[in-house]
Amino acid sequence: MASKSKTPKSLTKEEELLLQDFSRNVSTKSSALFYGNALIVSAVPIWLFWRIHQMDLYQSGILFAVGTIISTYLVALAYKNVKFVLKHKIALKREDAVSREMTKKFADDKRMTKKEKDERILWKKNEVADYEATTFSIFYNNAFYLVLLVIASFYVLRSINPTFNYLCSVGLAAGLLALFSTSTK
Amino acid sequence: MATTSSVVVLCCLFVLPLCVLGDTCLAPEVKTQTYTTTEAVTSTDTVFIIEFTLKCKNSVSNMNLYADIQGKTLPVTRTVTGDKYQVSFSDEHANLPSGSYNIRLFDEEGFAALRKTQRSGEDTGALKPVHTINMNHPGVWKGPFLQSEFVAATVAVFVWYLAYNARSQLQ
Repeated sequence: MASKSKTPKSLTKEEELLLQDFSRNVSTKSSALFYGNALIVSAVPIWLFWRIHQMDLYQSGILFAVGTIISTYLVALAYKNVKFVLKHKIALKREDAVSREMTKKFADDKRMTKKEKDERILWKKNEVADYEATTFSIFYNNAFYLVLLVIASFYVLRSINPTFNYLCSVGLAAGLLALFSTSTK
Repeated sequence: MATTSSVVVLCCLFVLPLCVLGDTCLAPEVKTQTYTTTEAVTSTDTVFIIEFTLKCKNSVSNMNLYADIQGKTLPVTRTVTGDKYQVSFSDEHANLPSGSYNIRLFDEEGFAALRKTQRSGEDTGALKPVHTINMNHPGVWKGPFLQSEFVAATVAVFVWYLAYNARSQLQ
C-alpha cells in the first residue's frame, strides 16, 4: 500500500475527464450560476414578508440579509446535490442520441481514429448531461423551495409574528430542500 | 262666572284641536341620504344609516319622529336646528340581506297608533305614516371566493408537480 501511494502517477486526459464526470465538484461557471440563482430565489421571500406580511424593510434588514445568506448557501447545496444525481441519469438517457448524432457528424471524417471519436462522444455526452442537469436542478429546486416557503409562511406558521415567521419559514424551506436533495432516488 | 268658564271650555274644545293639528306635518318633503355596509371583511354587522331633512307645508319643525323598519321601532334623532333627522340600526349580515327596505316614519300620534296595533297583534300595514323612505341595500361583499395565498400555493404546487413528474421520468 505504502509503495503504491509513494509512486506519483500522472493522470491521462481520459482519466481526468472520467474523474470530472463522476466528481461532485462543479466548475466555476456552474458554481456562479448556482449561487446567482440561489441568491435570487432566496431574496424572493423578502418581498413576500415586506409587502404581504407588512415587515419593515429597513428595520428587519439584518434579519433579511442573514436569512438570505443562509438560504442561498442551502439552496446552492441542494442545486449541486440534485445536479450530481441527475447528471448520470441524464447521461444514460441521452447516451444513444448523442452518440448517434456524433457518429453521423464524424462519418465523413476518415482521418479521425476510433479512440478519438469515442473521446469526442464521451465529452459531448458529458457536456449535454451537465447542461441539462444544471438547468433542471435549478428549475426543480426553485419550484420546490417556493412550494415549501408559501405553505410554511401562509399555512403552517400563519399565526406567529412575521419576524419568526420569516426566520422559520425560510429556514424550514431551505433546510428541507437541502435535506431532500441528499436523497439518491 | 258661569259664562267665563263656558267660554274657556269652548276655547279648549275648538282651539286645542287646532294646536294638535298644527303638530301634524302636512305634505312632507323629504330628502334622504343613506348608507349601508357594503363589505363583511372588516365589519361584523350590517349597519343602515338614514339621514334626512323634512320640510312640512305647514312649517312644523322639531317633530319627534319614530321609524319602523321591518317591524322594529326606533326613535329618530334630531339635530339642534330641528330640520335634520337621523336613524340608524344594525343587525347581523344574514338578517339584513340585499334588497329594498321600506322605512316608515311616524309622528307621535302615528307612533301611538302603531304601538296600539302592535300590542293587539294586528297588521300595521294599514297605518298611514308621515313618510316612507325606500332604501336599497346592495348586500355585503364577503371577500374573494378564493384567498390569494391559496391561489399562490396551488400554482406553486402545480409547478412543483410538473418538475417532480419530469424528474421521475428521468429515472
